Amino acid sequence: MIGFYTVLLFILTGAFLVSFTVALSRFLAPTKDYPEKHIPYECGELPQGEAWIQFNNRFYIVALIFLIFDVEVIFMYPWAVVFNDMGLLAFIEMFIFIFILLVGLAYVWVKGDLDWIKPKPRLEHLAKAKGE
Amino acid sequence: MSNLNSIQYFIPELFLTAAILALIIVDLFLKRKQKSIIAYLSAAASLVAGFLAYQQFSLPATSIFQGMLVLDSFAIFFKILAAFSTVIVVFISLDKFRETAEYFILLLIVTLGMFIMPAVNDILMIIIAMEIVGLISYVLAGIHKTDLKSTEAALKYMIYGAVSTGIMAFGFSLIYGLTGHTNLYDIQMTLASGHVNSVAMFIAFMMVLAGLGYKIAMVPFHFWVPDVYEGAPTPVTAFLSVGPKAAGFALFIRFLVTIVAHPSSGAADTFVQNVDIQAPFLIAVLAVLTMTLGNFSALNQKNIKRMLGYSAIAHVGYMVMALVVFNKDAFGAIMFYMIVYLFMNFGAFWILESLSSKLGGEDIEHYKGLGYRDSFTAVSMAVFMFSLTGLPPLAGFIGKVYLFAAVIKQGWLILALLGVLNSVVSLFYYVSVVKAMFLKQDDELAPIQTSLYHKIMVLILVVPTLVLGVYWSPVIEFTTNSIGLFFGR
Amino acid sequence: MIQLNSFLIISAIVFSLGLFTVIYKKNAVGILMGVELILNSVNLNFIAFSKYVDVHINGQLVAIFIIVLAAAEAAIALAIILNIYRDRANIDVTQLDEMKH
Repeated sequence: MIGFYTVLLFILTGAFLVSFTVALSRFLAPTKDYPEKHIPYECGELPQGEAWIQFNNRFYIVALIFLIFDVEVIFMYPWAVVFNDMGLLAFIEMFIFIFILLVGLAYVWVKGDLDWIKPKPRLEHLAKAKGE
Repeated sequence: MSNLNSIQYFIPELFLTAAILALIIVDLFLKRKQKSIIAYLSAAASLVAGFLAYQQFSLPATSIFQGMLVLDSFAIFFKILAAFSTVIVVFISLDKFRETAEYFILLLIVTLGMFIMPAVNDILMIIIAMEIVGLISYVLAGIHKTDLKSTEAALKYMIYGAVSTGIMAFGFSLIYGLTGHTNLYDIQMTLASGHVNSVAMFIAFMMVLAGLGYKIAMVPFHFWVPDVYEGAPTPVTAFLSVGPKAAGFALFIRFLVTIVAHPSSGAADTFVQNVDIQAPFLIAVLAVLTMTLGNFSALNQKNIKRMLGYSAIAHVGYMVMALVVFNKDAFGAIMFYMIVYLFMNFGAFWILESLSSKLGGEDIEHYKGLGYRDSFTAVSMAVFMFSLTGLPPLAGFIGKVYLFAAVIKQGWLILALLGVLNSVVSLFYYVSVVKAMFLKQDDELAPIQTSLYHKIMVLILVVPTLVLGVYWSPVIEFTTNSIGLFFGR
Repeated sequence: MIQLNSFLIISAIVFSLGLFTVIYKKNAVGILMGVELILNSVNLNFIAFSKYVDVHINGQLVAIFIIVLAAAEAAIALAIILNIYRDRANIDVTQLDEMKH
């Protein structure tokens, strides 16, 4: 537990130094407030529209596909741990697993969900729901 | 049994997996006109899987994959039931989803889940099987992407499902913490011999009940049922009311006889509780609530699909009622009722599905005068309705007799009485459909022409409903033979 | 050494927060976040019990599978929510009343 006192000392020193410099600049620096200072980009560019914009639907679909294939990798960690003991059998098992994932990837590919520009945009439903 | 040796006992599931992968690949190469091949192939695949499962019936009960799954006649019975219900659903939905190959592939994946669900022997497998069946069911409910009702049904089903499975998983984590095992048999041994806090066990039991109750649509976890049953496409509704529910009951029974109870004196017919948590009394109260709420909510429904949804809750109530006695009579009665329910429920839903375009909807209003427009279909519908009520000499009556007998034999007289009273209430709403069909109408409507396919499907479903009402001994023999539950690692 | 109780208290708090989110939120994606919290509390429970109660590592295996199932569930749920959004241009669950009679 003794080692942790060093850490505590570091934390205290760090906190003191940071608060000291911030307080020093607060006292010494002149304060002039004008409206441009409240704009997000101070370099003169005026923000257009709101920060809360809606992203294109395609991002969601690609993100969904990524999520599935990304999380499946978690199974490879326990597999890698026991790989040495199990040898060829584990090798074959992992190939079957990856083959099943590849079937899913092939499905997504052929159905056109990986294409960034869709052949047929389905926007007519959205227009109907918004009452346009 | 080690993993490699277990593969020979896992052939039906492996076959289904291979069939699913093959069908996904075949689907990628097919043109739009040829997609109906997938439907026939998926029916064939599930038929073959059911047959392969039946081949295992004579094998000695054992546990496979190092105690993860068991192979016993109880699980095989529910596997055959799952395969059979999938085949019927494929033929019910052939017309509507002819060009949607994904639908049939998803049905096969649910079948795979329903094959694993009755055979679980480990907490891990319970969670995985529940999620396979659950996740794909959400997609099936929302398969009509542009239909407002269908997507709404899918979202409601998904939210209730995700929350209740989460709560169930938390309950299982508590059970794991109380016993230190994930294998159901080890949990049973620890609970039966050790000193486990009954309050903690009760809380875990209630949490697990949330997930299982959701899957079989038991009060108070039934809120999704009416909306999902009405909003989902009719074939999907039919499937959800039979297939996943049967698998859910199998899982419920497996949970009751392992975690909640153990066989008294070895391989006896009755089970005693591991820890005294008043499980039978609790289940009895829930059963009465389930059937009463289902029947009374169904009374003034105008949409037949929604009415059948509420009546499905009531039928779950009857089946849960038999669970209170924890013995093999009750399990056999539930299995027999599941078979009967499969025929009569699929029959009612098939008539709804095939006539909805001709009659213009699924409300009771639309069925007025059907008896004079298409007497064969109307009479069959009446048979299904009376069988669902439980009137003799139809199959539903025999099923209910076995359920009530199992309860009465153990002295739960008041429970059985409440069940019978509920059946009387259910007569009112089932008869209202029959009344609408056969009462003389003022305006004569033109007769309906139905296809030969429609007639054959009705015949296939109505004949067992009639025959099982007078000659049921082979089926009850089959179910009695099937109640071989395996306990072990 | 951290006691088992500390893990259980944290997981109980996360579970309650998840349940509260599910009940309180009107946004479908918000509800999904609550579900993820519930599943994470389950994972925490399983891993803690696996370390303190079990002699094997069964609990950790269950946790791995629950992580994957949670991802699959999130993917399917987001796909369904996307469909809802395409049809209605909002994902407020209180406005899903197509079948109120």
